Amino acid sequence: MKVVIIGAGEVGFHIASRIAYERKEVVVIDTNEDALRRVSEAIDVQVIKGSGSSPSVLKQAGIEDANIVLAVTDSDQINIVACLFADYISPKTMKLVRLRDPDFNLYKEALQNFSPHIHTIINPDIEAVHAIERFMSVPGAVDVGDFADGRIQLIGIRLAAESPLLGLRLMDIPRVQNAGHMLIAAVIRKEKLIIPRGQDVLAKGDLVYIVCETRYLTQTLDMLKVDTAPVRRVMLIGGGRVGSKMAAALEQKSIKTKIIEKNPSVCQKLAETLNKVMVLQGDGTDQNLLMEENVQDMDMVITLTGDEEINILSSLLAKRMGARSNITRISKFSYFPLVEAIGIDHIVSPRLSAVNTILQHIREGNVLSAISIKGEQAEVLEAIVPQDSEVSGKMLQKISFPTGALVVGVVRQDETFIPTGSSIIQANDRIIIFAVREVIPKIEKILTVQLNYY
Amino acid sequence: MRWRYTLCFVGILSVFLGLTMIIPLICSLITQDDSARSILLSAAITETFGLLLFFGFRIRNNDYISPREGIAIVALGWIAAGFFSALPFYFGHVFETFTDAFFESVSGITTTGASVMTNIEGVSSSLLLWRSFIQWLGGMGIIVLSLAILPLLGVGGMQMYKAEVPSPIPDKLKPRIRDTAMILWKVYAGITIAEIVFLMFGDMSFYDALNHALTTMPTGGFSTKNLSVAHYDSVYIETVIIAFMMLAGINFSLHYQMLLGKPLAFWEDSECRFFISFVLIVTLIVTINIYPVYDSFGKALRYASFQVVSIVTTTGYGSADYELWPSMSQMILLLCMFIGASAGSTGGGMKCMRIMIYFKYCYKELISLIHPRAVSHIKLNAQPVSSDVVSSVLGFLGLFVGLFALSSVMLAAMGVDLVTAFSAVASAIGNIGPGLGTVGPTENYASLPAMGKWLLVWCMLLGRLEIYTIIILLVPEFWRK
Repeated sequence: MKVVIIGAGEVGFHIASRIAYERKEVVVIDTNEDALRRVSEAIDVQVIKGSGSSPSVLKQAGIEDANIVLAVTDSDQINIVACLFADYISPKTMKLVRLRDPDFNLYKEALQNFSPHIHTIINPDIEAVHAIERFMSVPGAVDVGDFADGRIQLIGIRLAAESPLLGLRLMDIPRVQNAGHMLIAAVIRKEKLIIPRGQDVLAKGDLVYIVCETRYLTQTLDMLKVDTAPVRRVMLIGGGRVGSKMAAALEQKSIKTKIIEKNPSVCQKLAETLNKVMVLQGDGTDQNLLMEENVQDMDMVITLTGDEEINILSSLLAKRMGARSNITRISKFSYFPLVEAIGIDHIVSPRLSAVNTILQHIREGNVLSAISIKGEQAEVLEAIVPQDSEVSGKMLQKISFPTGALVVGVVRQDETFIPTGSSIIQANDRIIIFAVREVIPKIEKILTVQLNYY
Repeated sequence: MRWRYTLCFVGILSVFLGLTMIIPLICSLITQDDSARSILLSAAITETFGLLLFFGFRIRNNDYISPREGIAIVALGWIAAGFFSALPFYFGHVFETFTDAFFESVSGITTTGASVMTNIEGVSSSLLLWRSFIQWLGGMGIIVLSLAILPLLGVGGMQMYKAEVPSPIPDKLKPRIRDTAMILWKVYAGITIAEIVFLMFGDMSFYDALNHALTTMPTGGFSTKNLSVAHYDSVYIETVIIAFMMLAGINFSLHYQMLLGKPLAFWEDSECRFFISFVLIVTLIVTINIYPVYDSFGKALRYASFQVVSIVTTTGYGSADYELWPSMSQMILLLCMFIGASAGSTGGGMKCMRIMIYFKYCYKELISLIHPRAVSHIKLNAQPVSSDVVSSVLGFLGLFVGLFALSSVMLAAMGVDLVTAFSAVASAIGNIGPGLGTVGPTENYASLPAMGKWLLVWCMLLGRLEIYTIIILLVPEFWRK
């Protein structure tokens, strides 16, 4: 498989490194020589200097035999033009585009059905809003992802001192009351991912990824003593692109929201479009303002300004003043490892969200969606079992999945269940697989059927 | 730097090199010569060493190799390869001292082709095949070959590739390094097979054709005959070898483009154009200059073209004793040793691309004296060359000339005469083979003092890995944490 990536910024870089890691052919195009050098020194990809919107550069990149082209530069216009020419030169190539301007969303269908036949439009801001909404659904969790149209959820929980799972062997967990509906998919201990076995014992401070059917979620979370009190009051800091979209989404859900924005004219605009949200003009790091607006009563403080240092400071300040939890927007991927150490509950990054969304579409075979989890050490894939696949009709424990991969959920028509070793997989089942990065190509191979006999 | 990684990879390379000793072993079994035991012993030692390193320093995931580790792996890997390829010669009693065996094997893998064998035809055919074969391995590069066929080296391979195939302007044929390496080796092997066929049409035995093809394509120059190519005294064979030396001296990515259906690829590339024109002009000058020696235009052209191509592509075969030529021709050949072949080819020397960039830079400096406000760019193939590349080229040329000067003074200090010292170092650092004086085309390096041989081994490695990869081992900063 060959992928052409236009734009070597954060999004382009991270997608390139993920795909190249899986031994696929990657070509990266950018006009900036320094950005290209960074890519070519760190990853095994081909780099081409030039504008992605230039047909000759696209040809030079071998777009004719590329399966996927990703236009992820910072400029919407360049992205669209690049896709337009990619469409002329190679109509078969699947095109994914990052478009920021909400205006384009009005013509989403036209862009998809007519030239340039864009397969998927990714708006990083909207992806970030979705990510925030997922976090808000379980405020006590570190990481939340949903599968099978929301019927199965993957929740990352940090084990606290009062957790009932502490000191238990994994094989003993099903005997704990109300634990029957969950499965432990992975444990992250000291930044390292462990695929646990029956004999492993859980310890305090472990980040445990559990898979659970949504209908039993509250019950399971209560058992685990995870905070499930719904979010009723939210304070947003920063009213830019993500902030304003978030405010509108919160308004729809009838959550009491206050939004703080520094720039008076942006405040004016926000006040014009929003009805129930209280728009406040001021500085998010201003302690008096936060106090006046009762930050201590907030269920969640979300900092979304364009300046990540300010976001971090505001979040920490709000937390210190008593806010229950916080979500912080951070763009620099290199800051991610620091986050937990300094006391930030969740991070959101439009770029990371865009990377995740794009990865879902790049997966080969019958893979429907994919999400990457903490530190990008593993992925959760959702896939349909093909008709003549070697896995169908077999008991799970008999299937030779590579080590590091685990089937954590099955959806069969209207039924969902968490499988055990004796569950049988059938064709057309939707299965959810937890897999460490190294084995993903093997899984893709198992799930892609070889049909081409002609 | 993580020693663990470096040593593990050196172990992998050694295991790999040990496995290739099967080839001379098979030859030995077929021809029933008495070298089978020494080859088996060498293979066993190489494998033991390689496996010990590999298992002793086994690494779990090889996801990232830093540039520094890449350089260390390549540099130490080549030194280890030189050491182990010397073993069959040493155990086979071809040489009396290990110094000679090591000199011969490094001269092989670096594609120099300088020999210390006094009677080549007296050596068993399996050992001569091994001598040609290591030259063939070294031509395209041991690391590049391992990248192409060993999945182990997949991810961190790029750093090593850069250290082994340094080129002023990096060239990646395919997005993945493994695919690039695979293409290069396929093209390389394909042309080698073609040459075997062509040589056999010229009534060469299969064994000789194989050996000469294995040493033409890496621009190495080891022959199985004492008189080198002059032994055959055949215009046909010389023409075939000239053609294939030229092919070997051209950037291999152009061969690939040509195979993809771009017949004009050679002529469209400015470096290739420069290389071909340069060879033609020098041949013409030398032909005219040596006409009085042979008294026949045909003969003069025949010997001049062969010797010029042989030296410019840094192969080093001999078809005539150029020491009998007028000194102008000898001087021209000596200077040609520095120029070398194209970047991305198997040839050595400074490389045409660097020379072109250097002259364009000089010209630009002159222009800026006349038009102080002129804004201009150095261009190659209508593409601007970035200033980083220009300064690295200038740095390279400076180091090349500096190391050449230093080494020839050192060799002269060991009591070697001026012409010999000068030409031997030029020949070694440019990976050519024969020089002038006592190391001329009809003589060999056996008479040099042992210290001088070690010095030339060092020069050959410097030349093959384009200086930086080897010289960096002497920089203390490289070894610091």
